[in-house]
Amino acid sequence: MDWLEQELKVALERKAPSAGFAERVRAAARAPQRRWWKPRPWMAAAAMLLVAFGSFEYREYRGRQAKQRVLLALRITAVKLHYIQQHARGSSEVHQ
Amino acid sequence: MTRRAWLTLCAFVLPLAAQQFQFHLEHLAAKASDAVDLSLNGPTLQFAAKFLDGDDPDEARVKKLITSIDGIYIKHFEFKREGAYSPADVESVRSQLKAPEWSRIVGISSAEDGENAEVYVRAENKKISGVAIIATAPKDLTVVNIVGPVDMDALAELSGHFGLPHLKESKPTRRM
Repeated sequence: MDWLEQELKVALERKAPSAGFAERVRAAARAPQRRWWKPRPWMAAAAMLLVAFGSFEYREYRGRQAKQRVLLALRITAVKLHYIQQHARGSSEVHQ
Repeated sequence: MTRRAWLTLCAFVLPLAAQQFQFHLEHLAAKASDAVDLSLNGPTLQFAAKFLDGDDPDEARVKKLITSIDGIYIKHFEFKREGAYSPADVESVRSQLKAPEWSRIVGISSAEDGENAEVYVRAENKKISGVAIIATAPKDLTVVNIVGPVDMDALAELSGHFGLPHLKESKPTRRM
């Protein structure tokens, strides 16, 4: 047996647990587990409120964007129609 | 036909179904100093209508107008120099606005400032189902397609709003 086998034999040999080890393990298993947070009803309510508020705000944002695009579209159309109407009333070169 | 071929076909056909003619002007965006590309379909217009203020005169008019239409499609380009777009670009749009579907109701041509504008209407079963406007100037080009049963009176009334003077109060700036 060389020195390595000897070392391993010593390191891995069976040892008896210290006194009261089994009792300490059982006590630890019985003790209530401590979590850093617990799910609470108000958390669910707050999350739902946050999602609802986010959805509402996003819808408002999309609505404002759509409104601005519509106003821009009709402003461009209005400018062109204004030009056409102005000339149609005053121009002799209008041809239909 | 493979699935990919169907998808490709749909990609081309769906925008056509929304717009009543193709603009073919995408290549001008790179040359333009300012470009506006608006594609507003029916659901977008109805959604936007909910956010228009009925107490504001301009917005109330817009709200009334857009509730009856199915889409607004606009391409507007402004260029820093003249000649950035060709007559062929305009003709590619104009050539699609042919009888019997389309009829030109007015055309304005100003030799003085080089501005031209045309209005076409599309009629189906004796009812207006679309309006097209082509407006050109040496440094800008605008094409508009309003899809649906357009209230022409309401559309014409727009020119008295958005900060534009009402035509009853205004006089033509130039005679040709």
